[in-house]
Amino acid sequence: MERLHTRVLAQWSAGALVTAAVVAVVAGAIAFVDPFSLALPPLVVTGAVFGVVFVLGVAYAGLRYRSWRYEVRTNTLYIERGVLTRVETIVPYVRVQHVDSQRGPLERLLGLGTVVVYTAGSRGADVSIPGLAAERATTLQERLRDLAIESEPTDAV
Amino acid sequence: MRLHPLTVVYRIGRRAVNLGWGVVVGFAGAASIPFVDRRLIVVALALALLVLVGYEVARYRRFTYALAGTTLELRSGVLSRREREIPIERVQNVDVSRTIGQRVLGLATVRVETAGGGDTEAVLECVSAAAAEDLQTELRRLKRAAADADEVTEGSDGVRAGGTAGSTGDVVGGAMDDASEVIFDLGHRRLLLASALSFDVRLLSVVFVAQPVVQPLLAPLVGDLAGVTTVVALLVALLTAVGLWLASAARTFARYYAFRLVRAGDDLRYERGLGRRYTGTIPLEKLQTLAVEETALERAFGYASLSVVTAGSVGSNTTGGSAAAVPLATRADVFSLARDLEPFADVAMERPPTRARERYAIRYALGVGGLLALTAAVDALFTPVPYAWAPALLLVLAPVAAHLQWRNVGVALTDDHAVVRRGFWTRRTRVLPHDRVQTAAVSATLFQRRRDLASVAIDTAGGDAVAPDYDAARAREIRDRVVERAWAAVGARRDADDSH
Repeated sequence: MERLHTRVLAQWSAGALVTAAVVAVVAGAIAFVDPFSLALPPLVVTGAVFGVVFVLGVAYAGLRYRSWRYEVRTNTLYIERGVLTRVETIVPYVRVQHVDSQRGPLERLLGLGTVVVYTAGSRGADVSIPGLAAERATTLQERLRDLAIESEPTDAV
Repeated sequence: MRLHPLTVVYRIGRRAVNLGWGVVVGFAGAASIPFVDRRLIVVALALALLVLVGYEVARYRRFTYALAGTTLELRSGVLSRREREIPIERVQNVDVSRTIGQRVLGLATVRVETAGGGDTEAVLECVSAAAAEDLQTELRRLKRAAADADEVTEGSDGVRAGGTAGSTGDVVGGAMDDASEVIFDLGHRRLLLASALSFDVRLLSVVFVAQPVVQPLLAPLVGDLAGVTTVVALLVALLTAVGLWLASAARTFARYYAFRLVRAGDDLRYERGLGRRYTGTIPLEKLQTLAVEETALERAFGYASLSVVTAGSVGSNTTGGSAAAVPLATRADVFSLARDLEPFADVAMERPPTRARERYAIRYALGVGGLLALTAAVDALFTPVPYAWAPALLLVLAPVAAHLQWRNVGVALTDDHAVVRRGFWTRRTRVLPHDRVQTAAVSATLFQRRRDLASVAIDTAGGDAVAPDYDAARAREIRDRVVERAWAAVGARRDADDSH
């Protein structure tokens, strides 16, 4: 079983930073308007909310990282993830329609990549593996593509 | 080939009916303005009509379609031209519908759908009823020929082989169509029953929700006698419920009037509809899942309905094209019909462990607790609520609801299928052929993990099925077996194809 690259923690923490900043600004604005007449200092509220949300976000990123596992098996791709709801998915290669690799700006900066596997299914139609080291993302995409071609289904639908 | 010439008449007629009211209003409005000569209005109307006729004639002249070997070609467009080619192999459904106006003129609209996109890929409006039927048959035959050709040879040779297979297939195809058998005829009795049972029991709750709202509204009209207003309010609510019931019954009646299901070779054909007649073809080889649905009311009388889901019907309105349904038949008939289409073995359903039922009971109790907290909060903070404690009475129902929910969950694995069942108000039994499975997953929320429970989700291109709250180890076992079978089923099909 493989795990994600630890740098994904930085990626997700950056996400937590943005979320914390937005929530903190909103909380600060509410404290400034003070609709419930609580007379709390807006700056302190902003700082405290930012701190709490950021710490929670980073903790969640850590848990999320710990929950992630994937494995390229002989006939199937196995993926395990989820903090509150744990999901363990199996994708048979015969069902793979195509494989994408995506790299956002932050991912590029961190040298990470995401591989997305598409099936013809209805709800879990696309399964993505984030936080892969760039070269691992490329090799994984190629490997999955080869496995999908090898197992060539007669009728993908 | 051209559309039927009467198409021009039909389309102008339809537009006239649609716009007629606007014209009348416009005419009356313009006539009331002084200094506007009525003759001018008549001239303007005549000009508009002329443009409309000109457009429709041009559209008719421009629109051609042809079945050329392996593709359906369409050319259309008055101002902007369009040419479209649809590979016949990719065709999922061919629907024929006839409105009342079309029936008078002997016309029909043909819709050809493929799995891609939400829009219908080809709409032929209108062709003669006979041509529509021919087209449906011909498309089916060519499709089969193309599929056969694919099996015999692969690559570019397949096209030529398709041609020859097509010419010999003519006889075979014709013979097969003659051999088509009616596998289900709704009949009048069942149609009426289906209409009557189409009512959702939950709509009755409207009566109880509406009653306290209606009561104060009526009070000034009826007088202050509390007893009288309550009775009148209940009566109004009851009438509303009856009205809703009649409306849903009428809808079902019109939709499934003279419903018939015909099996012709590997295709399923259906015909239905009162005002607007629908006929459609469902290729059984594209079948993804079968779903048997029983509402609580239908279950009480031993009835059920069946729908056949093919790829491409997900998300779009399943009452329309790609999913055909047997609206109502006895449970036994529905299951034997389902087995006719997709032979699945009859095995006992496995229920989740009883600790799942405890979980449901606690969940319902928490729900009641939430409701109680809400009424108490409103009572204490805003306005006095009479009988604020009343929701507590619902606690008695929590274990009952939990039991009913638990009782209706079931899963069964046979050699070729997974069968998943759930739901109390509408119980859905989904039959998923193993070789249609796309992915399978086990998921467990925090609360499920506390009780060592997990749900299995089996996904196909025609929707997914979730078997909730099984023992975690058992859930994984089910998932692994489904994937294993899917793998084996696809592999077996490939080996069979290779040995050709």
